[in-house]
Formats: sequence, structure tokens, C-alpha cells
Amino acid sequence: MTPKKNLTPFIGRMVSLALLATLVFVPRAETALIDRVSEKVLPNGLKVLLLENHRAPVVTFQVWYRVGSRNEDHDKTGLSHVLEHMMFKGTETIGPEELSQKIQENGGNYNAFTSYDFTGYFETMSADRIQVALDLEADRMKNLMLREQDFETEIKVVMEERRLRTEDDPKAFTMEQLAATAFQLQPYRWPIIGWMEDLTRLTVQDLKFYYWTYYTPSNAFLVVAGDFETEDMLPRIETAFGSIPKKAAPDQERTIDPPQIGERRIIVKRQAQLPFLAMAFRVPNIRDPDSYTLEVIAGLLSGGKSSRLYHRLVREKQLALHVEADHSLLSRDPGLFFVAAEVLPGGDSTDIEKVVDEELERLRRDPVEPRELQKVKNQLEAAFISHQDSLFFQAMVLARHEIVTGWRTVDDYIPSIRKVTAEDIQRVANRYLIQDNRTVATLVPLPYTEGQPVSEPFSIRSDTVR
Amino acid sequence: MGPKKRWTLVIRLMTFVAALLLFVDHQVLPAMPEVDRIVLPNQLVVLVSEDHSLPLVTMRLLVDAGSRRDPRGKEGLAHIAAEGLLLGTSTRSVTVFDETLDFMGASLHASAGRDTAALELRTLEKDLRKGFDLFLEVLTQPVFPEKEIRRQVEKSLAAIQSQEERPGKIASKAFTKVLFLGNPYGHPVEGTRESLPHITRDMVVRFHQNFYHPNNAILAIVGDVTVERVKTDLVPRLSQWSPDQIPEQEFIPRFTQWPMTVTIDRNVSQANIILGHMGIDRANPDYYPLTVMNHIFGGGGFGSRLMEKIRVKRGLAYSVVSFFDPGKYPGAFQVILQTKNSSAQEAISILRAELRTIQKDPVSPKELERAKKYLIGSFPFRLDTQSKLAQFLTQVEYHGLGLDYPEKYASTLNAVTRKDVLRVAQTYLHPKDAILVVVADLKEAGLDESAQVLHFNRPTM
Repeated sequence: MTPKKNLTPFIGRMVSLALLATLVFVPRAETALIDRVSEKVLPNGLKVLLLENHRAPVVTFQVWYRVGSRNEDHDKTGLSHVLEHMMFKGTETIGPEELSQKIQENGGNYNAFTSYDFTGYFETMSADRIQVALDLEADRMKNLMLREQDFETEIKVVMEERRLRTEDDPKAFTMEQLAATAFQLQPYRWPIIGWMEDLTRLTVQDLKFYYWTYYTPSNAFLVVAGDFETEDMLPRIETAFGSIPKKAAPDQERTIDPPQIGERRIIVKRQAQLPFLAMAFRVPNIRDPDSYTLEVIAGLLSGGKSSRLYHRLVREKQLALHVEADHSLLSRDPGLFFVAAEVLPGGDSTDIEKVVDEELERLRRDPVEPRELQKVKNQLEAAFISHQDSLFFQAMVLARHEIVTGWRTVDDYIPSIRKVTAEDIQRVANRYLIQDNRTVATLVPLPYTEGQPVSEPFSIRSDTVR
Repeated sequence: MGPKKRWTLVIRLMTFVAALLLFVDHQVLPAMPEVDRIVLPNQLVVLVSEDHSLPLVTMRLLVDAGSRRDPRGKEGLAHIAAEGLLLGTSTRSVTVFDETLDFMGASLHASAGRDTAALELRTLEKDLRKGFDLFLEVLTQPVFPEKEIRRQVEKSLAAIQSQEERPGKIASKAFTKVLFLGNPYGHPVEGTRESLPHITRDMVVRFHQNFYHPNNAILAIVGDVTVERVKTDLVPRLSQWSPDQIPEQEFIPRFTQWPMTVTIDRNVSQANIILGHMGIDRANPDYYPLTVMNHIFGGGGFGSRLMEKIRVKRGLAYSVVSFFDPGKYPGAFQVILQTKNSSAQEAISILRAELRTIQKDPVSPKELERAKKYLIGSFPFRLDTQSKLAQFLTQVEYHGLGLDYPEKYASTLNAVTRKDVLRVAQTYLHPKDAILVVVADLKEAGLDESAQVLHFNRPTM
């Protein structure tokens, strides 16, 4: 009855995300994952990935569209996410929100998510009910009704979502500004949820065109994981999705920023309690082997309480409340390597920056000791196994790889991490984690207008009973 | 990367879990994994559930040492005592300890809640012995170094300050403070700016001596370990943990049971609204019909009445949710939503109207049916990872629900009628005596002309 409350501080959220990114399914036996996945491409271009897992009588059914905020235009930001919301507004045969009801009536859970590179929908249900999900997903892949009246309400919901996530959250707001500065051309510069100004301009016509362009079998793929037999599931998928007409796959090329040639700095001034510092370094993604080295570097810097930045900033010097390093291994276009810290009361973000600079210099200058390197590799491997505990994430990690380099590269993760050497770390740090390649954002808190912190008495009045 | 980067995606519902079994109406036997319950001579209850699909083990210890045990004026002590477990032992400094744990790629977390504190270890099976050593060591030989305790207090104070820029957090703290009228549930687990500076190492040591005993604890072990191995390897060492008398204090559940409005003016774009009042304890037999009622009213995500009226029909909020949070003692009932300042009053009127409606008219047969199907069918969501199962098992034991709880849950829910739902709505919802908290730009929200302003510090009622 109690909702899960998110008490995790901002940086804490980054941690869990970083961990998720390393998730891959390793079967109990030492079989490679790729040997356990079946792939089939239907004649209309829809790719299907099937992963049997009979641990519990449950199936997770996921539809991934290769469309996210990177596919938007600069004055129509947020379109992908708004469309995700509208995907629950019904088709020619089912009414608004009816899909949600049907899943719930079958004891299932469902959700959807939008990111820079993808939009995903999933249902997780008992194995004997999963047909409901197949039918509903196939239906909305081709028959979505985009009604003006639903749009007018839903766009308000999305604006509320933006207020909740960003407008009233000083750190999230600062991160948004950071990305908008670190990139100048490529679409990662705008937020997934879109700028508020753009949200006010979007129309149903924009959505219809976007849906028509990107929601096609050749621009989507399915990942199904759980308790089913492949020879039974595949024909059912063919029946449900096979009749959706084939269309040309949309153009996925996007502009990439030219190399950065000097440090950029921004300051965000707004009401907040504590200063906040965030740095973003332009880095390659998983297509470049250096990316695995950056995974290891993120672990050296902030993986666990014995990590370098935690030890120095939180434990030793007591300058930061939290600190986190995070690498975007699985972004479709080259992404960012972040270091972020929330400053302790009375502290100064320049002191934190100095320590971060010293630690980055140390990475460039001194080879990592073997035990420390082994420690980080152990952490990454353990996390990799630990995350398989969830069926949902087993499917998700396949999908994340599929979007960037193809799902088969999932099995490269552990070997590639194991291969990273102390020399690689120095070389990669010298190449990417340098001043000229970074953007630094500082949140400077302004005092609250009322001049009183919240712990002061607040006003209460006796109610007139309604 | 901020909440937006990576795949933080914008998730549509606040919760997502993994999967479920649907059971057709009256049959229903949610699968509970096999569990062995062992009671040691020192009264520690050990629950073991084997799952060999991954080379991974999760151990979760629940100790009845939550923040309700905080002495008055020392709020936050239980929290510091729990976190303090990980700050060094008689044989390892905190630095050595952290490095040892990290080298195994294991995780060990300690935290406190309202009722209980928890210590959770997650380790690869190959490191189980070492992990268990660390687990026992922090539990039975923590030294709570003076310097580390002081730091922990400083960190808590900073975290409290940081929370004050989150309007939702401000609202919930104000609600809790006003509702519980100084009863032991009435302060934040992490303490307050006023209380934390008074906490000393001696108090932490005493708190640990008072409450961290096997006869006051429950241990769940889930994953790639056999019951045999638990019995031969772990139980002998756990049995050496010595029991002791647990000091019990009286818990007087006092509540504000009259209408009250708290407004807090902040420069924010959304009004953060909480409407709520006294709730129930977990042992209340009406827990089950209330679960159904709340699901229909505002707990069930899409399809709940509040979601339908406030989000789907009017676009007033991204999230609106209602819940009871029953503990060992009565908790709260709350409705939480955020809406742009200018819509605050409209949203509040709808909440109040919906409360009146669910107290006046029986829910429809269809609503009842749908709620039951989802609640029963999705039950196994709560058990589908090691961590969730460990948490579930310790809670079932803590509240004395019995290991056949999943089956009972289904049959009890199935027996709930529309009449029951109406009765519990009338009995346990108190819209006329609700507390309303609004953190907003009060001017924009049209709430700034508040008539009588009382100071909360010394409530006169």
C-alpha cells in the first residue's frame, strides 16, 4: 500500500543508473548469452529477439522503437516523449487508457520509457496471459488514434512532468544546462522531456507525422524474455505483428559535434540549498574500445566507498555530500563522461574542483596499482551478475546493445573490461579527461526570498471545514 | 547525467516492477518460493530460501531498532546507529573495511526505518564465507569511532539541508510533523537540525547494546546457498550472538484529528500537495479491504479514480497517488500530488470531492473485480528478485503474517465485498478532519491570504 518513495539523493540516482548500464545476462552455465538468444526478422522488417528463462512462470514482452530525442528537430523537442504518452490513448479498437486496464486485469505490469536513442514499451505478465500484450502492442504499432482532445490534456500532463522533474529541481536543471553547453550541434544537447517552450508549440500534426515516420516494423524490434518455448512464441508473434505493412526505415543519421577545443564554463544561479558542481567530458561510445576503459575509470573514481573521489572528497576532506562519476557506454552517438558532486554546507565548489583535477591528473600520470585495478574489475563483474536477478533487465540490456552495436556485443562486456590495462587507463585519461575537452557547470545557490529556511515555523491555519 | 541522461528515461508510472501471475478469480495460489524457518537457541529467526539460478546470495537482517526508539530530543539516533555499523569494527578500520568489501564486488548497506533497521549483504556465492564474516563483524563488533560518528552526524545535517530544496520533501516532513503530534512516528528517521547535534558516540553505543540482539532480529538468506550449508556453516556462528532483554517503551499513538492547513511559500512552479490523516497499524484486520479500497481510490495508478479525474480527464498532474503506510503502530493515510500553482485549488477540490464520493456510494462491481485481479495477480511482483524476496520474508515474519501469507492474501482479498469497501471508506477516511499541506508559490496558488496564522512550534491544540 505504501508507494515506493524515492529518497535517493540526486547523485545516488546516478549510481544506480551507472550500475544498470553494466547489466548483462550471464547464464548459470558458462554459455555465452548469444547462444541462448534466438533472432528472427519478419518479412516486414520487424526484428524479434527471444530469450528463454524458465526460472519463474513469467514473461516480459518489450517493444523497442529506434526513436528518441536524438530524432527530434531543435524546435520540436520533447516530441518522442509526448508520443510515448499518447501511445496509451487508444486505437481504432480500444479506448483511451483501456490498454492499461486490460493489462492490470490480467495481473500484469506495464510501462514505457523514452530516452535519447529509444522509446520502449513493456508488459510483464504470467506466461499464460502474455498473448494480451502481443495483441495490444501489435495494435498500437499500426492503429494509434491521435485525437486532438486527448492531446490537449496529455500535453498538460507532460508539462507537469517537466515541472516536477526539472523546473523545481536545481540540480536536474543544472544538468540540463550542462548538456546544452557541452553539445552545440548534436541532439543530445536538448533534454529528453523537451524545452517547455517547445512543448507549448507541439501539435497533433507533429505527432502524426512522427508516428508515421518512426513507428514502423523496420524501425522497431521486440525482446521477449522469460518462461516460454521459442517454437511456440515465434508463430504467435508472426501472427500478431506479421500483417503490419513494411515501410522504409527512417534516416537515422544525425550530426555529431566536432571535437571540442577548449574548456567551456557555465554558472546557474537560482534558489537552492547547496552548491553543485558537474563536469562533462566528450567521449566516444561503445563502438570505440576506449569506452570500456572509461567504464573502468568511472569505477576507479566513484565505485564504492573505497573509490578515489569518494575517499578524498567525502571521507577524507569532507568537502562533498555525494560524488559520482558516470560514463555513457551505451549511447548511440558519442556521449559524455560526467563527474558531479554536491558541496557540503559551508564548502566551496572550487575546492572540490581542485581535488577532482588532482585525481584526473593522477590518472593521467601514475599507472593504477594492480590490486586497485582488479578491485574495479571485480566490482563491474559482480554488478553484471547481480543485475541478472531481474528478468526485465536481462531483456533491457540486450535491447540497449541492439540499438548501438547489435545485441551480440552483449557478450563482449566482461572480456573487454578484463582486458583493460593500467597503460590503457593513462592513455585514455590523457586523451579524453583533459581540461580542453570538458564543460563545467556550477550551481550557485541564491538565498530564498522569504529569507527563512523551512525548519523555521511555517504558517498553519485552522480550517474551515468544507 | 542527470535524471535525464542515460536511460533514466522518463518513466510513465512511478513504479515499475517485473512480473506476474494472474490467477483466475477464485482459485489463486500465488507461488511462494520454498522457505525454511529456523529458530536458533538465542531466538534469532532465520528464513532461508534457495535459488540457484545465479551465483549470488542476499542476506537481510531486520532489527527492531527503528527511529520510533529514538529518545526524545535525540531524533536520528537509530539512523546513526544503523549507519554507524559500517564505520569500523574491532579488527578493521572503516577504510580497510570498505576496500575489502569493494574488492569482492559485494555490497553491504545499513539503514533505519520507522520501525526497524536493516542490514543487507549482497555477494557472489564464491565470496559468501568472507561476506558473512564481514556481516557478522559489523553486527556484533562495531566500534563506532568517535570521529566517524561525528562525520556521520555532519553528513546527516547536510543531507537534511539538501532535502530542503525539494518541495515534495518539505511537504512530507511538514505533514508528518503535524499529523503525529510528537508520537514516536512523528519525526524524520534521519533526525532534525535541532536533534542531531546532541547525538554522541556514547548514545550510539548504548542504543546498539540495547537493541541489537538476536531475540530482537530476523534474518533472511536468499539465493545460491543450501539450507544444509546455512545449518552447518552459518547457524553455529549466528548462535554465538548473545540475546538480552530489550527495553520496551510505551507507544502512545497520538494524532492531530482535526482539520488543519499548512501552507509553505516557496518559489516553485508546482504546488506540492498532501492531504491526509491518521491511518491504521499493520495488524488491523481491515488492512485487506482497505488495500482494495485504496487501490480503487488512488493507489492503483492508471485506472484509479484520482488518476482518472486529475490526470487523464484534466491534465492537472503527472502523478497522483494515495496510500496507507501501516506500521507496527498506526501510520498515516496520504494523498500526494503536484500541480502547477494556479491549479492547486482545483486539484484540492477534486480530492475532497472524490473522498466524499467513495464514502457515499459503493464502488462498482467492475472496479472491485479489477482491483482484486490486479492485486492478487501482481502479488508475485513482490518476490521476483532476491532482494525483494528477502525484504518480503523479513516483513512477513516481523508482522507475524505466517509463511502461508501469499495464499491467505489471495483468499482474504477475494472475500472482500463492495459493502466492505464502503464500510472501510466510511470508517478510515476522514476528509472532514484532514490535514492539508501545500508547498507552493502561495500567491500564484491563491493561498496567500491565510486568515489565522499560528506558529507550529507550539501547537495550542
